Amino acid sequence: MLLCAEALDLNGAEAMLWLGQDLGLGDRLGSRVDLWKHRCHNPLRRHVRRGGLEPDASDAMIRVLCSQADRLYPLLRALLSSAEAPEISRQRWGLFQERLVELLRERMNLRRVAVQRLLDPEGGAAQRRQLIRAMALAAGHGGFDRLKASLMDAAA
Amino acid sequence: MKQTLRFDQISCRLQVEGVPDVSTGQGDNAIGIITGWNLQWAGRPELEGKKEHLLALIQTVLPYARRLISDAAAPVGNTTDPVELQPAGAGSHRLLLRSSQPDTPPLEVQLDDAELADLVRVLDQLRTDPRLQLSLDLPPARPLRARELGGRIPKRQRLAAPAAAVLVLAVTGTASLLWPTPRPQSNQPAPAKLNVPR
Repeated sequence: MLLCAEALDLNGAEAMLWLGQDLGLGDRLGSRVDLWKHRCHNPLRRHVRRGGLEPDASDAMIRVLCSQADRLYPLLRALLSSAEAPEISRQRWGLFQERLVELLRERMNLRRVAVQRLLDPEGGAAQRRQLIRAMALAAGHGGFDRLKASLMDAAA
Repeated sequence: MKQTLRFDQISCRLQVEGVPDVSTGQGDNAIGIITGWNLQWAGRPELEGKKEHLLALIQTVLPYARRLISDAAAPVGNTTDPVELQPAGAGSHRLLLRSSQPDTPPLEVQLDDAELADLVRVLDQLRTDPRLQLSLDLPPARPLRARELGGRIPKRQRLAAPAAAVLVLAVTGTASLLWPTPRPQSNQPAPAKLNVPR
């Protein structure tokens, strides 16, 4: 989802730092290095750190993601809306997919099946839509509990 | 003094009217007693009702959204509930609102993902608004169990463990049947041999 946010916003990584400062999470996400270290706990990434995130660090990341989704909500909504003209919607999804694929190739471990599935232009469409929908439903303060609970699902 | 809370999104607007509950010492800006509400949809009939209907809407829509984040959409509510929400195909959701008036058919509203997200946002804004000082009795968002995520896990992955268990049981049973039974030992002791030095 963090990569999706970056795919939607070219300054996404910077925005995450600003949002972290705004939310008073400067002690956890004070610099790009802190943010990068936290993100490297994702086992799908190319460079992975061992161990898990501490609970308050993972809460901080979820809060930043919810705020980022809130900021990007108009874009998320436009992607999900069936009222948009099909041609415009197709172009929006195409642009998003193009940027997401670039970021995935740059940062993620391409041998992972989950990453390969996301890269698949046809087969990964449903999963990319699910990521965007999850971000839209997790946007804002109200989305924190929902997103946190979903990350602790049995299969997660 | 009557208060009105208004929350806007692109496709809907929620207005809640109420008064502070002075018996519990709430301030003038608070709403402790809801006297009415209405939800305006773009291009759809306006909904309005009592506090109970608003609570039923919140208690249906937010748990549904919780399941949707996990990609495990499932109907929330049943035919006796005032509000029911269920998946209706890819990117579409069916909201059923049942009137408390007798012989009134339920109102059906089809929502796409964007409209559902708008509805979730206005309800989230309402429940997190500090001016609303009212218990909503919302169940806490909780992680889903493996069986609730059944549709999300591929069938091959779901069936792998039980299939392996059945296979191991079959192999073990067959091997135990083919294993030769030991011959019964005779009770007579073997004759003792004496070592006689030559």
